[in-house]
Amino acid sequence: MSDQQPSELDLQPIKRSFWRNLSPLWAVPLLSLVLALGLAWQSFSDRGVLIEILFDEASGVTAGETLIKYRDVTIGEVERVDFTEDLTKVIVYARVNKAVVPYLDEDATFWVVEPEVSARGISGLSTVLSGVYIQGAWDDQIGTAKTTFDGASTPPSVLPNYKGTRITLRAADGQMVSAGAPIFYRGLEVGRLGTPRLTSTGDAILIDAYIDAPHDKLLNSATRFWDTSGFSVSFGSGGLALNVESIATILSGGIAFDSIFENGGSISTSAVFDIYDEEAEARRSIFVGRVQNGVAVSVAFGESVSGLTPGAPVQFAGIEVGEVSEIRAQVNDENPDQAITLLASLNLDPLRLGMPNDATTEETIDFLRVSVENGMRARLATSGIFSSSLIVELVMIDDTPEASLILRGEDEPILPSVRSNIPDFTATAEGMIERINSLPIEELLDQAIKTMASIEDLAADPDLRTVAPATRTLLEDTSALINSPDLQAIPTDLRATITDLRTITEELRSADVSGTLTRALTAAETTANNLSTASENVPALIEDLRTLTAKANSLEAEALITQATTFLASADAVINTDGARALPQSLTDALDEVRLAVAELRGGGAIDNLNAALNSAQAAAESIDVAASDFRVTMADLPRLSEQLKGVLATAERVIASYGNRSDFSDETIRALRDVSDAARAVEALSRQLERDPASLLLGR
Amino acid sequence: MENTGKPASVLTARAAGLVGCTRCGRVHDQGVAFCLRCGSALQSRDTLALQKVWAWWWAGLIAYIPANIYPMLRMTQFGRPHESSIMGGVIDLAQHGDLWVAFVVFFASIIIPIGKFIAIAYLAWSVKKGIRTRDVGRLHMYEIVEFIGRWSMIDVFVVAILTALLQMDFIVTVSPGIAAFSFTVSVVCTMISAQSFDPRTIWDTEKETPRV
Repeated sequence: MSDQQPSELDLQPIKRSFWRNLSPLWAVPLLSLVLALGLAWQSFSDRGVLIEILFDEASGVTAGETLIKYRDVTIGEVERVDFTEDLTKVIVYARVNKAVVPYLDEDATFWVVEPEVSARGISGLSTVLSGVYIQGAWDDQIGTAKTTFDGASTPPSVLPNYKGTRITLRAADGQMVSAGAPIFYRGLEVGRLGTPRLTSTGDAILIDAYIDAPHDKLLNSATRFWDTSGFSVSFGSGGLALNVESIATILSGGIAFDSIFENGGSISTSAVFDIYDEEAEARRSIFVGRVQNGVAVSVAFGESVSGLTPGAPVQFAGIEVGEVSEIRAQVNDENPDQAITLLASLNLDPLRLGMPNDATTEETIDFLRVSVENGMRARLATSGIFSSSLIVELVMIDDTPEASLILRGEDEPILPSVRSNIPDFTATAEGMIERINSLPIEELLDQAIKTMASIEDLAADPDLRTVAPATRTLLEDTSALINSPDLQAIPTDLRATITDLRTITEELRSADVSGTLTRALTAAETTANNLSTASENVPALIEDLRTLTAKANSLEAEALITQATTFLASADAVINTDGARALPQSLTDALDEVRLAVAELRGGGAIDNLNAALNSAQAAAESIDVAASDFRVTMADLPRLSEQLKGVLATAERVIASYGNRSDFSDETIRALRDVSDAARAVEALSRQLERDPASLLLGR
Repeated sequence: MENTGKPASVLTARAAGLVGCTRCGRVHDQGVAFCLRCGSALQSRDTLALQKVWAWWWAGLIAYIPANIYPMLRMTQFGRPHESSIMGGVIDLAQHGDLWVAFVVFFASIIIPIGKFIAIAYLAWSVKKGIRTRDVGRLHMYEIVEFIGRWSMIDVFVVAILTALLQMDFIVTVSPGIAAFSFTVSVVCTMISAQSFDPRTIWDTEKETPRV
């Protein structure tokens, strides 16, 4: 506006340099910047390394939340979860601490930890609330670092830096074990199993087993493994034994091991061990190896050795002195009667026989030879009351035929044997057979024969002959029937049967008792049925006889003769019926069947399975029941028969009384009738006895 | 007062040859070095004020960056850690339906600090450049900035209280994150920055413009 200016005041400060003008406060933003940059650098450098883990499925893995842990310490976090291009896998991108990255090499493994409830306990419980996490494991060696890993679906059996020994177990059946099942040593868990796998040929199961350090020092060549899965019930000479390891083993299986003998050699890392089904078997498996200077001898048994198995103990006075190592058949040239002998090889422990520690084989054999001369014999014996398995006993028998240890040069010497004396169930069976034997069947038949003989005498009487030649013919026919070889053969056959049954009892000692008994009883049942069928025709005959006597009672002789003729004709008819004819045939058939049964028994094998034996016993009991009821039906007929015979007797007496005089005819008749009466009494007695105690026949009491 | 409402006619103390004591308020003639009453140094204009303002302003801005990037709060709930930054927390709250709380947090933690930065920067810049504007408005702006500055600490207080209260081991544990520290630094810096501003300079711009 104008040039008028106020006078220049020296208000203007002195021009200072830029640096002098600069406030020291500028250090504050610089400091702040340095701090911020430092923070940024630190967080960048701490950012970790991105790795990729491939999972089949990543249940519960959440980006930004799921942690990566190593030894339960967080080392990283999942950043992103994605799929592979073909969507077959899940890629988990995780950022892990730089410190562990060098260790993430070939052997690093990752798996998702989830809560798991199993027979072995509960694991991963913390993940119920905190969510799953990814656990990693690797060894302590720095290797070629990787960034892509295959995640496992389950935790590895052992961690990569596992301290212990890995061995391989072999089993025939993979059912008893599962991955992760524990391995016990004297009840202490010292290791676990890996995942079972099949061999390439598929004939066995191989399982990796890991024995933790320091327990892996227990492994040596004397180690044997056995299965402790579930529980085992054994039923042997020691009685009933129930073994249960732990609840976990019931559900998931378990393996135990122990060193069976001392001084086992060291094992290689690729050692393969078999898993035995049970501890006893495992311990037995090396019995031969345990016996120092074991002496092998053979025993020839003349009887069936069914029930004797390799591994069965050899006992001397109840002390185990060895075991059966082998059973084989051998063709015997010397004895033509017994072309094949059964040879059981025994492995005897000289120490247990009382020999000194350093006894040689020759000394032991010499000792055995002396013992045999003193009466020592081998004998089969049952290992328990209900057991069908056999053991070999060495017994001292005083009054035995001379025998000696047969030395065969290089081969095993043969120890003489005696027949076994197995006293148990067979004795009962024998008792029953004796009871059957003592039944008055023969007496009854004798009575019947006597009756028939009297009738024959009656018919042979001249008086009667004049009256009725036809009667005589009939009586001759009757006699012929009674004397027929079939009927006569009955007692003989029965006796033969009983003899056979006695033989059975002998056979039973070497064969399976129950099975044999069942077959015998089945045959006996058939016999009983046949007897029943045969006896059905007898009442009809009696009925006719009664009609005849009734007529005779009321009419004169001619009419009687006519009636007698009719009766005899009908009797003839009855006798000629198939049923009557079939009676001896049926009996013969029955006996044949019994014989067949016996033959089967001779050739039959033993059933050493306990279950089978029990089933057989049950079947036998049922058969006995059926047979008893059949027998009872037959017995019910007996009183009726005796009643009818009594009726005949009474009627006949009345007829005779009507004749009035004691002629020869009447004497003969009376004698005949007394015989009939005796027969009736015998039948009655038999039926009463059976009525009173039908079981006596069957139970032998 | 005829001149009321006419900013152009404001007479500054400096123009009147006076200088006021910033501590006790006593007015002296120019040339007096120390306050005759309280003894504090008298200065008509703080020559270094703008430098201070800018220094603190930059420090606050730099601190504000990590405050937003890094987690403010680290909460471990049932072993499951959860970190939330300021903006993340706002989004979480909004997603949970707490729009009001989200707005408050957003306002206190984002709007106010950024507004402060802008306001202080504008004041400093306008004073330096002598931009002609309504001086009373700038004064009001300055007063608002100074007043509201402390309320930015609300976030820090919330974190501090939560950290103190929620220490229940496994169930829930809260710990402050790096951002909490950064944010505190940022707020403090901006407060000092605002305090460093010499409001008297607002009026100086008038002096250089030709007076009517």
